Amino acid sequence: MRIAFAGNPNSGKTTMYNVFTGQNEKTGNWAGVTVGKREAPFRAEFCDSEALTATDLPGAYSMSPFTPEEGITSQHVREENPDVIINVVDSTNLSRSLFFTTQLLELGIPVVVALNKIDMAEKEGIAIDYRLLSQKLGCPVIATVSTDSSNRGLYDTVKAACECFGKGQTAPFVQDDINLLDKNEVDAADRKRYSFVNGIVAETEKREKESSETSRSDKIDAVLTNRALGLVIFALVMWAVFAVSQTYVGPFIADYLVGWIETFQEWVAEKLASSPAVLTSLLADGIVGGVGAVIGFLPLVMVMFFLIALLEDCGYMARVSVIMDPIFKRVGLSGKSIIPVIIGTGCGVPAIMACRTIRDERERRATAMLATFIPCGAKIPVIALFAGAFFAGAGWVSTLMYFTGIVLILLGGLLVNAVTGHRFRKSFFIMELPEYKVPSLKKAFFSMLERAKAYIVKAATIILVCNCVVQLMQGYTWQFKPVSDNMADSSILASIASPFAVLFIPLGFGAWQFAAAAITGFIAKENVVGTLAVVFAITNFIDTEELVLMGGANEVALAMGLTSVSALAYLMFNLFTPPCFAAIGAMNSEMQSKGWLWSAIGLQLCTGYTVAFLVYQIGTLITEGHPGTGFAGGLAAVIVMIAAAVLIAKKIRKNFNMKYELHEKAGEMV
Amino acid sequence: MKLKDGKPGTTYEVREICTDDSEMEKFLFSLGCYSGEPVTVISNKKNGCIVCIRDGRYSLDKQLSEAVIICNQ
Repeated sequence: MRIAFAGNPNSGKTTMYNVFTGQNEKTGNWAGVTVGKREAPFRAEFCDSEALTATDLPGAYSMSPFTPEEGITSQHVREENPDVIINVVDSTNLSRSLFFTTQLLELGIPVVVALNKIDMAEKEGIAIDYRLLSQKLGCPVIATVSTDSSNRGLYDTVKAACECFGKGQTAPFVQDDINLLDKNEVDAADRKRYSFVNGIVAETEKREKESSETSRSDKIDAVLTNRALGLVIFALVMWAVFAVSQTYVGPFIADYLVGWIETFQEWVAEKLASSPAVLTSLLADGIVGGVGAVIGFLPLVMVMFFLIALLEDCGYMARVSVIMDPIFKRVGLSGKSIIPVIIGTGCGVPAIMACRTIRDERERRATAMLATFIPCGAKIPVIALFAGAFFAGAGWVSTLMYFTGIVLILLGGLLVNAVTGHRFRKSFFIMELPEYKVPSLKKAFFSMLERAKAYIVKAATIILVCNCVVQLMQGYTWQFKPVSDNMADSSILASIASPFAVLFIPLGFGAWQFAAAAITGFIAKENVVGTLAVVFAITNFIDTEELVLMGGANEVALAMGLTSVSALAYLMFNLFTPPCFAAIGAMNSEMQSKGWLWSAIGLQLCTGYTVAFLVYQIGTLITEGHPGTGFAGGLAAVIVMIAAAVLIAKKIRKNFNMKYELHEKAGEMV
Repeated sequence: MKLKDGKPGTTYEVREICTDDSEMEKFLFSLGCYSGEPVTVISNKKNGCIVCIRDGRYSLDKQLSEAVIICNQ
C-alpha cells in the first residue's frame, strides 16, 4: 500500500515522513525545501503487519503548479495513483491549506488530513474543532506533532490511512463541470471553492488573536529584512559560520584527529616493514595517507554542516532571500537564488536541485550555472590546506574565498543577463515568511552526522580508489618499472599531467603535480588534497603551526615550491573551475539544455583560469615588482576566451532578437 | 491604490490583480489573494512590502506590490 504525503509548502511533510520511515531527509523552515519525490517503507512500529510505502512530495499551494517542483506533486497524485493521501495541513494556516485539501478530496483517492504543528497552533491560541472538521470534509482529521518524541497523533494517522484503504470518500466540494480553458469560468469555480473553505474555517476554527496583528516574528523581521542592516547582519552571520567552522572550532578538533591518523599511518608502515615496497607505499602512503589527509578535515566540514543546519531550521533562509532579492534582481537572478547558494556551501548537488523553486526558466538556469561558484564542503579541505600551509592558517583566506564566490556569482549573473537578455516578462518575487523558531540542536546534530557519513563514505570509496590510482601512476613508468628516486618526472602520472601543466605556467603553478591534482579534483574536489598528499608525500596538512615552530620553515609550503601568490592562484583556480562530475550531472538534469550546460562548463573553466591568472600576475607584480612567468601567453589565452564569449553572445543575441521580434509580432496580432 | 502605498498595520480589500501574468495571478489566488479578500500590510518599504494574507506572511517585491490594487474596507 502506497501512502503519499501532500500539502502546502513548509507544513511539515518531510519531518513527518522522516518520523514514519526513519529516513533523515533534509528539512528546513522555509517553503520549498523538498524539490523531489522520495519513497521509503514505513518503520515496523507504525504498521503492524502490512507493508506500507511512504512517498514524500514537494509542497504545493494548489493542484495547478506554479514552479517546477510543484508540478511533481500534482503529477504524482494525478497519475501515479497512490492508495491513500496523507494531506499534511499547517494548523496555524488552516484557511489557506484547505483550498488544496478540497482539491485533493476530489481526486477519488482516500485522504487523511493531518493537522500538523498543532502544538504551535495551541500555543498561539488557535482552537480547531477537528471532529466537526472531519464531518465537514468527509475524511478523517487527526491532530499531529512530528517534531517531538511524543509522536502525537502519528499512530492514529497511519491507522486511519489503513482503514481508508480501498474505501470511497465523498468529496465535500465538487467543482462544476466547466470549460477549463475559459479563465472566467475557472476563476468563478475557484472563488466558489474558497468561499466553501471560508465557511468551514468560520465554523471550526477559533482564534484568540487575529493573525494580522503584529507578532514577535514581525518585530524580528523589521530588523532582519531591513535593507541595509539586513545585509550587514547576513554578511556577519555567514562570516561567523565560516570562521567558527574553519578557523576556530573546526581546526581545534581536527588537530586531535590528524594526530591519530598519523599514529595509525606509522603503525601501518611499521607492520608492513618487511612486506614489498609496493604494498607499503600503496597502503601506508596511498590509502592511509591520501584518505587520511581528506578525513583530517572532516571536523571542519562537520562544524560547518551543523551551523548551516541551525540556520536552515530557524526560518532565516526566507528572510535572506528577501534582502538579497533587490541585489540579485539587478544581475538578472532572483532573491530565491540565494537559497541554492547557501545550500551550496554544503554540497553543490542539492544546491543545483534547489534551483527548481525558481519559477522563471532563465533565472533558474542561470542560478544552476552560477551556484557552484560558492565553495562547497568538499572544497573546505582545499581551502584549509592552503590557508594553513601558506598563510599560517589565517581566517581571512576562507572568508575571502566565499566572498569572491559571491562576487563571481553576481558578475556571472550580469554576464548571463548580457548574453541572453531579460525582456520577456517581469520577474515577480514572492516568498512566504514562516514564523521563526528556536532551531533544534538535535536535528542539526543528526543532519551533521548524516553529512559526515556521506563524507566518510566518499573518502573511503571514490577518493580511496583515486588515491590508489594516483599512487600507482606516480610510482611506475610506462614500462611498469618502479620510478627511481631522482626520476619522479618519468612516471605515468607526470607524463599525462605535464601537457596540462604547461597551460598553468601563466597561473604560477606549472608543475605536473598541481595539474594532476586539479584533474582528479573534477572527480571529487577532496581529491585535490588527497592527490597533493600523495604526490608530495605529506599527510599532516593541518598542524602546520607546529612545523613552523619546530623547523623555522613551513614544510608543506617548502615541499610544494609555491610562492604565497601562486598558492592563492592555485586555490582560486580549484575553487572556481567547474565543480565535480556529480554537480555537472545535476546541472545537466536541471537545465535540460545542452547549450546551457556547455555554456556553464565553459564559463566556469574560463572564470577559474582568468581569476587565477589575475591573482598570480597582479600579485607577483605587487610583491616582486614584475609580472609573473608566462604573462604574454596567459594574456593571449584570456583574450581568446573573452573573444569566444563575445562571439557566442552575439550569436545567441541574434537568435534572441529574432525570437523577440516574433514575440512582438504575435503580441501585435493578439 | 496600490499595495505598495498601503499603511502598515491597516487591513485593505484587494480590488484587482493588475498583471498579464496569469500564472502569477493564479498563484496569488491559491494563497487567498484575490479581489474581495482582505490583505493586511505589515510593513512597507522602498523595495517591497510584507503582508498578511489569510493566516500567512509573505514578502512581495516592488513590482508585485504595484500589481496588487487595494481599496479601503
